[in-house]
Amino acid sequence: MEIKEFKIKWGMVIDIDKCTGCGACMVGCQVENNIAPMTKKDPYNYVQALTTHRDDASNKLRTLTWMTVYELSNKKVFPDHEVAYLPRPCMQCGHPACVPVCPVVATDKNEEGGIVSQIYPRCIGCRYCMAACPYHARYFNWWDPLWPEGMDKGLSPNASVRPRGVVEKCSFCHSRYLDAKNKARAEGSDPMDLADGAYNTACAEICPTKAITFGDLNNPEHKVYELAKSKKSFRLLEKLGLDPQVYYMTEREWVRMQGDNYNGGDGAASNNHG
Amino acid sequence: MDSKLFPEGVQRCSLGQFALWMVPILGVLVWGLYGAVLVLYNGIGTTGLDNYFGFGAWITFDLAVIALGAGAFFTGFLKYILKIKQLEKIINLTVIVGFICYSGAMLVLTLDIGQPGRAWFGYWHPNVHSMLTEVIFCITCYCTVLIIEFVPLILEQKQLNKIPFIHALAHNMHVNMALFAGLGAFLSTFHQGSLGGMYGVLIGRPYAFREGFFIWPWTFFLFVLSAVGTGPVFTVLVATFMEKLTGKKLVDFKTKALMGKIAGSMLCVYMFFKILDTWAWAVGYLPTVGLTFDEMFYGIAYGKWMLWTELVVCGVVPAIMLVTPSIRNRPAMLYTAAILGCIGVCINRYVFTVQSLAHPVMPFDSWHVYYANWVEYATSLMIVAYGFLVLSLSYRYLPVFPLETKLNYQNK
Amino acid sequence: MSVARRAFIQMSVGASVGILFTPTVWTALDDVSIWTQNWPWIPTLKYGEVKGLPTVSKMCESGCAVKVRTVAGQAFGTEGNADNPLSGGGICPLCANGVQVMYSPTRIKAPRLNGAEISWDEARTIVAEKLAAAGSKVAVISGDQSGTINEVFSALLTNQGSDDFYAMPCEMQTADKAWAGLMGGSGQVGYDLEKADVVLLAGADALESWGPTVANMQAFAANDSGKFIFAGPMQTRTAAVTSKWVPVPSEGMAAFTLGICYYVMQAGRSVDAADFEQFKSMVVSNYTPAKVEATTGVPADTMADLARTLLTARNPVVVPAGSVAADAAAFALNLLLGGAMTVLPEFDKAIDTAMSRSEMLKKDILQGVSADLLLVYEANPVYALPEQVKAGFTVAFDSVETETTAAADLVLPTPHSYERFDDMVSPYGMPVATYTIGASVSKPALDVMNAGDFVLGLVDLGFETFEEVLDAKVSAIGANKRRLMSGTAHVAGGSADVGGVTLASSVLGKAAVPVKGTGAVALAPYTLLNVGTANQATTPNAPCTISNNQLIGDHMVVMMASATAKKLGVDVGTKVKLSGGNGECVALVQIFEGVLPGVVAAPLGMGHTVGDEFSKGKGDNVYKILTVSSEAATGTSTWAGSTVNIAKI
Repeated sequence: MEIKEFKIKWGMVIDIDKCTGCGACMVGCQVENNIAPMTKKDPYNYVQALTTHRDDASNKLRTLTWMTVYELSNKKVFPDHEVAYLPRPCMQCGHPACVPVCPVVATDKNEEGGIVSQIYPRCIGCRYCMAACPYHARYFNWWDPLWPEGMDKGLSPNASVRPRGVVEKCSFCHSRYLDAKNKARAEGSDPMDLADGAYNTACAEICPTKAITFGDLNNPEHKVYELAKSKKSFRLLEKLGLDPQVYYMTEREWVRMQGDNYNGGDGAASNNHG
Repeated sequence: MDSKLFPEGVQRCSLGQFALWMVPILGVLVWGLYGAVLVLYNGIGTTGLDNYFGFGAWITFDLAVIALGAGAFFTGFLKYILKIKQLEKIINLTVIVGFICYSGAMLVLTLDIGQPGRAWFGYWHPNVHSMLTEVIFCITCYCTVLIIEFVPLILEQKQLNKIPFIHALAHNMHVNMALFAGLGAFLSTFHQGSLGGMYGVLIGRPYAFREGFFIWPWTFFLFVLSAVGTGPVFTVLVATFMEKLTGKKLVDFKTKALMGKIAGSMLCVYMFFKILDTWAWAVGYLPTVGLTFDEMFYGIAYGKWMLWTELVVCGVVPAIMLVTPSIRNRPAMLYTAAILGCIGVCINRYVFTVQSLAHPVMPFDSWHVYYANWVEYATSLMIVAYGFLVLSLSYRYLPVFPLETKLNYQNK
Repeated sequence: MSVARRAFIQMSVGASVGILFTPTVWTALDDVSIWTQNWPWIPTLKYGEVKGLPTVSKMCESGCAVKVRTVAGQAFGTEGNADNPLSGGGICPLCANGVQVMYSPTRIKAPRLNGAEISWDEARTIVAEKLAAAGSKVAVISGDQSGTINEVFSALLTNQGSDDFYAMPCEMQTADKAWAGLMGGSGQVGYDLEKADVVLLAGADALESWGPTVANMQAFAANDSGKFIFAGPMQTRTAAVTSKWVPVPSEGMAAFTLGICYYVMQAGRSVDAADFEQFKSMVVSNYTPAKVEATTGVPADTMADLARTLLTARNPVVVPAGSVAADAAAFALNLLLGGAMTVLPEFDKAIDTAMSRSEMLKKDILQGVSADLLLVYEANPVYALPEQVKAGFTVAFDSVETETTAAADLVLPTPHSYERFDDMVSPYGMPVATYTIGASVSKPALDVMNAGDFVLGLVDLGFETFEEVLDAKVSAIGANKRRLMSGTAHVAGGSADVGGVTLASSVLGKAAVPVKGTGAVALAPYTLLNVGTANQATTPNAPCTISNNQLIGDHMVVMMASATAKKLGVDVGTKVKLSGGNGECVALVQIFEGVLPGVVAAPLGMGHTVGDEFSKGKGDNVYKILTVSSEAATGTSTWAGSTVNIAKI
């Protein structure tokens, strides 16, 4: 399948050398996108109350974390050990593994900007897209979303609440894109040529070390344009050919090496741009 | 008490004995239903599935029963299209087994998808690029075909068949059965392939990804071959199991051996390509994505022993056993080979479903081991119990085995 | 009856097609698809105008300058405030969840006396009586490090003739004891991380939990050419992004710093301080790199390298943490280097009778609090200092349920940060004096009262409401309230006088000797903001961000290097009991090679016994196993040098 190209290509460049793994991006993402805090008990479901509990957030295999932070280790022992943190949103692949497999077109990459969409009311919850995504960027609603009493007052207007049984994923805070375009239209400027920063994701905005830079990868006026081309930049699992729109940056060779597999006798490519 | 309902000229156990036999079956069925209620009411979180294993026991079970249920379409194809007459002695059983497997798989799929109310979206919003769309189409259509194939058998029940309309209906359906068998063979070949294609197209999962021919990855063809290589002998195993259980001869050994021969030949073809495919994957494809063969395996749960078991012990060995007449013609050997072959195809479906997902593609990620929980076991066993139930009722009341009277009563 | 083949097929097809022409199938399917989108228990959203209203959030230790996002007037999220130097657009993971905490069912809904709800009037009467009865035996524990609310409480104490104002143990206090207490300095030490070209973080986990974390992170991000080095017993989150991690045991931090001073003085650097020569001879005789290497295990070469790096830097700074001695040693080193350490002048007080910041930090809470009447303001001493606090009658002011509110006699609910007027006066660590004000951006839904208003209603301090106090503060500072209310900070340049500062050589010489407890392994407690702090438990959405290196299921995870694990005979997943101080903790072992051998790293902030489901019963409380020891010579208490014994269970 060919890589889908768009005039506008929203992307991120994440500087791993600036990420401390504090988790602010993850919290910001959950608040922006109405991801319910994980609660063990469901007081409204008597069948649940009589049987097993739901999961709480320490079961990392059941969390809904569109943005999640991985801890990377250079796997050496003390004192040569090094650690790095890698935030992982949806890669919004140019050649997504998830889109062609969906049996009901509940996910698509069709809009100018190149964001991989997810249509919750259409998703049947087969989880085939989750099986397809090597980045684990897709999440399934294992349980009904539940806000402890009173907390549903603080719901964000930016993402509808998903019922259980559907798959969801990072949308690059898509409603902010719509807002930015509307604002541009109201101001009489071109919504297809937004200024750098006019549209920004919640995680990029909240990051205290500004490790995440967001913008149009095709627009030379946006910071990401140059950053993505930097010698320090790489993408995760480039060899699979999914063409992610999220780039990472680091000075550290060992971190770059963990961005892809290099054991298959194809030579240790230290520089992916070489 | 219910002897009037029995097929013509056969003996069945007393109703009390039959009821006793039904107790454990219904027990398992109720247990599974309880699991199903939990899944539908509380959510799929009730199971052992998680973000890493979106597919698990259920999908493995589905794929395995669909592969084993392939006896129906393949035998139907051979009997109705290629006109291999001898197969009519077992064709009814293959239809019932196929029906059980496919309807059971569909029941499990209803539990497995998060929004069962939207299951029909596959028709309404189909994505023609998705192998799963093809699977949804073919499985639902083929299940309908199997129902159509099963219905005349029910209509031939002794008392029902006395009603002239039903008699006529059954007759008409029989007459048209070749049409359905042909349709079934087409649909079934496609979705057996699509199920394999589902995994083969996963460009993000190096364990499963395969290149292929046109839009079909090699797994497409391999899944078809492995299904037709084991489906027929699974039917033989079911028949033999029923014989042991009832103490009667239901199918003549000649037919069984023929089924074994057919399966064996297909299994040989399958193993040839499967080994070729594994080799090409290991030395051709994996290095291009920076991976080695060794990296595809982990610990005991996802160890190489499983691959070797699948390829050799449950692959090459049964294939040879089944194509060698001297081995195949000894009942114990035939059954052993059949069991091995069926295990092999189950392992194949399991590793493609679970190990594909367990392998951490991102180098900094780690292997996770998937354990199905009781809910998944219960609901899967529910389908097995459902199979026992349908088979028991069919055996008791429907003329499933045309040779039963001849083999058991006329020789005496 | 016979049916012709054709008729049969026609009938079947006809029936199938016929039913599709009736609305039954289609209506049913349509209904189903509508149903599956409209389950009654799935909440719907509120739409309207979205705004970002500036205020402050006091959930993390230093506080964050934030903007609260509202939709049609209802708060839903928190974002950074790019106009304020404390935020620069970013916020910490705790404050990012502020609105959710504000709506949380764990909020205290009304005043409560021994569990029974009472009215505010009754509460005021009770506290007035208790104040009258207690006389000068009143104490205050404040969990707020930077608010003018402390002026109100300290003025109340002055009014009562008491000086028992206690801050929860914090780095600001340690620094003040070193700077003002030992070295005779005035003002507040700050660090210009943005302008420094070399930053040695000597124990300060500055990019995760120490000081004004978000401002530090902003400075780190803006300081592209600066070299950051982290020294400490474990590879903290900070060490993940610094260019180097120097493993130094926490009890050896002061000696290590003096070891660097040794090289710096060898290079000819000096300080214009009365006791410089004394200091130099103390270091030369007792803290030669060889001696420091022998007591701390840090190679002399490492110290030499660091000294060289600092000496060649144009504007270096050393940022200490941990103990008074370590802070004093670092201040001495900063004076020798003459780099980016700053000294902030203190803003004028709003209330004349209130204490100065240094006075507020004087009392040592680790040595115990005993009073007839104890007022606790947004602090959780029952959780973090379970043994130290004793009082006849405790009044707890807080917005959420904590161990302290559960144990208090009288509980007085305060509004959440976003529902009240509050301020932040020069959080410790900032390079310049700053003042930020926070207004109420969300209407309180519960029966709450600002603690300042409550106290001002009890005693006459010259103000009717807390807002008036803030107005007085604003004018005392000479700031513009209107601009402050728009979210910007008032920044004051200038530096406090550093003349007359001594190097406290006699005290430091003794205090810098590494002293370790008697346990088998050293304990390196660490703070992650998403896990929580001494006063603030983790928040509803933050548990997803807590990794399995801190918490697995309900079990705390402690980390150690493989060498340590081997010595202890434990491995990944081993369940162990850690005993130290007067308590015990249960934890699972994780191997993390970024921990100094012989040290076990344990996360602070878990193991709550009161609170919401996100924190209660999650992990164990490491404060229980910290050992309070009296730091030789400085006369202060410290948790540094805590050790534990580890047993498999």
